[in-house]
Amino acid sequence: MQEALIQRLRSAVGHEHVTARPDDLRNYAYDGSIDRAAPEAVVFPADAAQVAAVVRACEELRCPYVARGAGTGLSGGAIAEFGGVLISTARMRRILDIDAANRTALVEPGVVNAHISAAVATLGLRFVPDPSSQSACTIGGNVAENAGGLHCLAYGVTSNHVLGCEIVTPQGEIVWLGGRENETAGYDLLGVFIGSEGTLGIATKIAVKLTPQPETTRTLLAVFDSVDDASKAVSDIIAAGIIPAALEMMDRLSTQAIEAYVHAGFPTDAGAILIADVDGLQESVGETAAAIGDVCRRDGAREVRLAKDEAERERIWRGRKSAFGAMGRFSPSYYVQDGVIPRTKLPEVLAEVEAIGRRYGLLIANVFHAGDGNIHPLIAFDEKVPAQVDAAIAAGADILRACVARGGSISGEHGIGIEKRDCMNVQYAPSDLALMAKLKAVFNPGGLCNPAKMFPTSRRCGESARTLQRADLPEGIAPAAGPAF
Amino acid sequence: MLNLPFAADLRKHTGSRPRVRPDECARYSVGGCTPKLVFSPHNAREAARIVSALRQEGAAVIIRGAGTAQWRPPPPVSIDAVLDMTRCDGIVEYAPADLTVTVGAGTKFSDLQSALRAQGQFFPCDPSHAAEGTIGGILSGRRDGALRQRFGALRDNVLGMHVSLSDGSTAFSGARVVKSVAGYDIPKLFVGARGTLGAIADVTLKVAPLPQAEAGLVATFERLEPACQAALDVASSPLFPSATTLHDARSAHRVRSLGGGLHDGHAWMLVLRLGGTRGAIARQADGITRICKAASAAAASGVRIEMVAQAQVQHAWADIAELACGAAYSPATVAGMKVISQPSHVAAVMARALSLGPDTECTAHPAVGLTFVHVRADAHVSTAAPSGLRAFANACEAHGWSVEFLFAPPQIGEHLLPALPLRAPIALMRKLKAAFDPSGTFDPGRFLGGI
Repeated sequence: MQEALIQRLRSAVGHEHVTARPDDLRNYAYDGSIDRAAPEAVVFPADAAQVAAVVRACEELRCPYVARGAGTGLSGGAIAEFGGVLISTARMRRILDIDAANRTALVEPGVVNAHISAAVATLGLRFVPDPSSQSACTIGGNVAENAGGLHCLAYGVTSNHVLGCEIVTPQGEIVWLGGRENETAGYDLLGVFIGSEGTLGIATKIAVKLTPQPETTRTLLAVFDSVDDASKAVSDIIAAGIIPAALEMMDRLSTQAIEAYVHAGFPTDAGAILIADVDGLQESVGETAAAIGDVCRRDGAREVRLAKDEAERERIWRGRKSAFGAMGRFSPSYYVQDGVIPRTKLPEVLAEVEAIGRRYGLLIANVFHAGDGNIHPLIAFDEKVPAQVDAAIAAGADILRACVARGGSISGEHGIGIEKRDCMNVQYAPSDLALMAKLKAVFNPGGLCNPAKMFPTSRRCGESARTLQRADLPEGIAPAAGPAF
Repeated sequence: MLNLPFAADLRKHTGSRPRVRPDECARYSVGGCTPKLVFSPHNAREAARIVSALRQEGAAVIIRGAGTAQWRPPPPVSIDAVLDMTRCDGIVEYAPADLTVTVGAGTKFSDLQSALRAQGQFFPCDPSHAAEGTIGGILSGRRDGALRQRFGALRDNVLGMHVSLSDGSTAFSGARVVKSVAGYDIPKLFVGARGTLGAIADVTLKVAPLPQAEAGLVATFERLEPACQAALDVASSPLFPSATTLHDARSAHRVRSLGGGLHDGHAWMLVLRLGGTRGAIARQADGITRICKAASAAAASGVRIEMVAQAQVQHAWADIAELACGAAYSPATVAGMKVISQPSHVAAVMARALSLGPDTECTAHPAVGLTFVHVRADAHVSTAAPSGLRAFANACEAHGWSVEFLFAPPQIGEHLLPALPLRAPIALMRKLKAAFDPSGTFDPGRFLGGI
């Protein structure tokens, strides 16, 4: 890294808030995905003005930069692939203001997701998006990735719960997109900023929408002999006009892994387990939960269990939320996929996932947001065996192709980042990607702000990183794809 | 400016036959301005071909649905061509169990709702001009109704979109499924863009099951402040009503099926639309009644509460939706504007609006912070109107409220340029326009900041 840049960074944020020590840098080389790359310097700005000074320094000295929250991302969005400067939001973690009357809060990007709900709980309010990593992940990262969670089915994703962001643009300007009202005049730039994976700028303040806590939540667990029966129940619940607050499914392999890990009380011989949350007023919750139970029984559930109390409810959800961790004990490594399909296509896609696993000789467990049709196949492999890494990546790509072939999407909530960028071609035509590239250039013409994420490179979907070959990309996309390609 | 002899060439380039006869084109006028050519493409590709050819001639093109928003000020200076999207209509794909529907942008909103209702579902939006309006027009104009309180805004329920751009390309973004984060969420840019970035050809929407049952609660208050306070308190409670609207006496009078509204001394009508299981509705009504009584007692004033049956509230809603700068008002004699504020400022917005004079009436969606102001501006009172309206808009801006003029009589509208909110990132918006529509083909000069 250029000494001149280090000096600029130090004068921007203070000497003690910049590090370029290799030991420190190694801690920032990873996120929750399989990609690894260390930055050349990490800076810890305290506010928007400091972020802007850092961005201007990087832009002037032509050095790539990327913002990072807690590093829990699952697609490589916060990986400094080309080195450069990593901008940590760790010092920007204040809740600046809570406005109960208007149901909004103003927070800094480094605030942990779960801390927002905790801070407003006594007001009877909450921040709805609840990704599984909510006790660690930050709101800045949630905005970048448009994070989802267990309650998207009824309540939507992050973009439905953010009113405005103060951002630092790649020009180093501080501007507001949206505000604290429910609507803003002009183009909905906030709408495209959310989920832009850090490629359009860096959020430095976030105005979030708060939602009243439901009066009651009941949790229902239904045990099925087969994934097909459980999938049919999912479709039938929706067809009956019921939108549960959450509707989750686990197959046998994931249930067994979870039971071995946290003892949530799931039957390990079940073909599939469905978990539904119903929330709202006491008067309707009981009725709706009973209706869901009836549908499940009609579709062949051998057991339907309504959590008796909060403790049982928590045990069930702890089981579900520990699914990824449980897989970590079950297999040396695992690779999570994040495809979305129309929920009526669940049975055929799950059968295809199983066939893909057999084809590559890999075990694949399934745990997913069934109500959204957002599947999370967990592909078990061993990172130390190169052939298995390649097989896992290839199997993951085949799963994504299967999703797109049914009119679905390659990512429901984890983002594209590095991990799935070469599969963007599967879902989108060159003209679709060209429009996205135009949008990127509006905000980030130099391409230094989180370079090369989200857009396809010259590799094919599912091709291992070790087989990189240069080739021409379509003209409309090439500049957006980034400096390395 | 388009050179008319090119019309025949355009037909050759695009394979589409435009309307050219002045009497035919007059039916597609916008804001009193008649186009020289009218194209009615059948799909995204045809629309893109047409627009690309027009762009090369330097034409100014306006995208039109049912024409319900044509009186938005300022009126166009001149129009070379109208892109009539009503032939891009019909349901492309509808899978009720997936809660998604894909429709052509020219599909009538009312036709879509009928098709969904047959399957026990609906698109959860109650826009103005619901009878004639098209999906594309409603999205482009961001015509959210009060149901957004419970079901989210239009932007939240648009999943994917095909657009036709002025460079002749078409692009899809978003997805056909209920959840996707693959790529930039470009459909959000087209919601509210008023056709200035490109033409929406088809959209995939997230639909919802119809509530098991519905009912209404009408609370008439003596004073404005407790009515707003009650609306805020209900919105912060776990009662989750579907929608809340607040009406002054004139606005209330237009809601025919609610008995023309107001009793002696009760000047403000708060309407809450309830939905869910029957048990939930009874509980909502009970809780809301308590909140309304507490709010009016705290202000030492009165409130009268009345329950309204399902059929009656649904019938009333046809009127209520049109009070948000909709068909209830004639653009020939009335100027309509939307004021965006924080929900807690709605009482102040309404009070200020009504101080404009006795010919003013207001309808608010207090839970989301939107107030629709309608001012009589016909020949008798019009001379001072543009300056009065501008002064009102400036006063609102000073409070941090932003004002959008949605329609006005042409002689007033030409004086009403879109206000530029102080904090709006106008430089980014200009760059966006330049990137998506570099020649300024689509409806030049009438968007925020003269875009």
